Amino acid sequence: MIDSNTQVEEIMKIPGVVSYFIENRVSPITCSGPFPQPLGKLLELKKVADPDAFIAGLNDFLTERGIELKEDNE
Amino acid sequence: MNMPRPMDEKYKMLIGGQWVEASNGKTCTAYCPANGEVLATFPDASKEDVDKAVKAAWKAFDGWKKISPQERSALLLKIADLIDANLDKLAMIETLDNGKPIRETFGIDVPLGSDHFRYFAGAIRAEEGQAVMIDDQTMSIILREPIGVVGQIIPWNFPFTMAAWKIAPALAAGCCVVIKPSSSTSLSMLEFAKLVNDVLPPGVLNVVTGRGSQAGQFLLDHKDLRKLAFTGSTEVGYQVADAAAKKLIPATLELGGKSANIFFPDAPWDKAIEGVQMGILFNQGQVCCAGSRVFVHEDIYDKFLAQLVKAFNSIKVGMPWEKDTVMGSQIDQNQLDKILAYVHIGEKEGAKIACGGTRAEGNGLENGAFMKPTMLVDVKNSMRVAQEEIFGPVAAVIKFKSEQEVIDMANDSEYGLGGAVWTKDINRAFRVARAVETGRMWVNNYNNLPAHAPFGGYKKSGIGRETHKVILDHYTQMKNIYISMTEEPFGLY
Repeated sequence: MIDSNTQVEEIMKIPGVVSYFIENRVSPITCSGPFPQPLGKLLELKKVADPDAFIAGLNDFLTERGIELKEDNE
Repeated sequence: MNMPRPMDEKYKMLIGGQWVEASNGKTCTAYCPANGEVLATFPDASKEDVDKAVKAAWKAFDGWKKISPQERSALLLKIADLIDANLDKLAMIETLDNGKPIRETFGIDVPLGSDHFRYFAGAIRAEEGQAVMIDDQTMSIILREPIGVVGQIIPWNFPFTMAAWKIAPALAAGCCVVIKPSSSTSLSMLEFAKLVNDVLPPGVLNVVTGRGSQAGQFLLDHKDLRKLAFTGSTEVGYQVADAAAKKLIPATLELGGKSANIFFPDAPWDKAIEGVQMGILFNQGQVCCAGSRVFVHEDIYDKFLAQLVKAFNSIKVGMPWEKDTVMGSQIDQNQLDKILAYVHIGEKEGAKIACGGTRAEGNGLENGAFMKPTMLVDVKNSMRVAQEEIFGPVAAVIKFKSEQEVIDMANDSEYGLGGAVWTKDINRAFRVARAVETGRMWVNNYNNLPAHAPFGGYKKSGIGRETHKVILDHYTQMKNIYISMTEEPFGLY
């Protein structure tokens, strides 16, 4: 389950997840690579009006596709 | 042609003149985006590693700042010679790690890098301070002194060239460097470090590698840096500026863009057709100053567009190490997904796909992140595809009627990095170039980024200018020595 503390770098390991972000006007990747901080920080920077709704939508997007966020075991 | 493998299997970081692994043993993996093959591993630096690097840089600084401009210049010229002597290897490694075609890394990226060191080697030999008599008995001397140890973070789109843009002026100014390349493209930086480690005193240049959230953040947060330098996205630029502000140190930032490439009816025709391609297909469109908004005057719109579609459709998209490949792979699947998402958004907004619009497949390309050169037409400047940075080979074509209208549309952007005006009318060229709010306006060319011409952004595209001796001001600070030559007291106390 993704929350505001999940690192964007970890979220970007999920295939296909970028399209959800772009559809919802948040670019999680640029020439710097994945945004190097937690999701909540990115949503704050992009002035997302309802970060909770964004995150809920993201989790639904992943659930619909049968995708789970893997823990970073490194 | 099979993929060549000139790189090492495993790389270490350069700290204090020594090659080291990450203190916690963690590594990252480099992949070729054209086929997904593993290229090499390199360290994922810990906080302790970054701290060691900064300490090593400070240890080296006392000696490095005292080296004469003549000696420093000679070292920078030696570095340039080493780059030139290793052009083939550096270019191929850059191509494999980034996915960009060999004709670009061999002909542009790496040579631009060596030239940067030559330019700054020359610039510092001509630098002088100032002296003035404030009055008959009082002299003011202005000297510039190196600012100290600087932290630098560079992106994945031009790894080698951006390394040169950052390192050359910093070393020229007498600073010592801790630099972190992108975790997507660290190999050319590490190969460069192998070349210069025998040239520079230990600790003058330190390379830490790893993830942005780890090594990158540790570098930004380090309390003992005197300046930060960053090229990358505007979003991360805010973080860098914030990190610098917390320490009350300066930061130079070269950030994103959505630049306007403007074509008038009297544009030099064939060169203009090439100019659209230079603007948006060079480096697969992964250029901060890409000419991603293509403004075409209504008088030439249909004919210009028809020829552009033909040109875009004839571009060879292929394996980046093959000499006849014009467009290689995007940096990775995520970036390709982002580009495709924007094409879909463009269609929903009412734009039409004149050519491209899908990933490139066939001949093995389906294993990589290849995109077809794409043109969206019937675009309005207010659409998301005209306002947001896509960072791919997608031109958003917009029709215009008048000079003032296109200037207003060009300026209707939160960015201000690059742009171009194509016309043979010198007065119009200057009017438009001066009116568009960007740091760089090309006239009858695009994406030429040599040393000797300052480059940087207005608005949300950044702070400061690079590729010119003015950057030396950012890597130095002003010392004023104020001398009174009288021997009598002033009489105030």
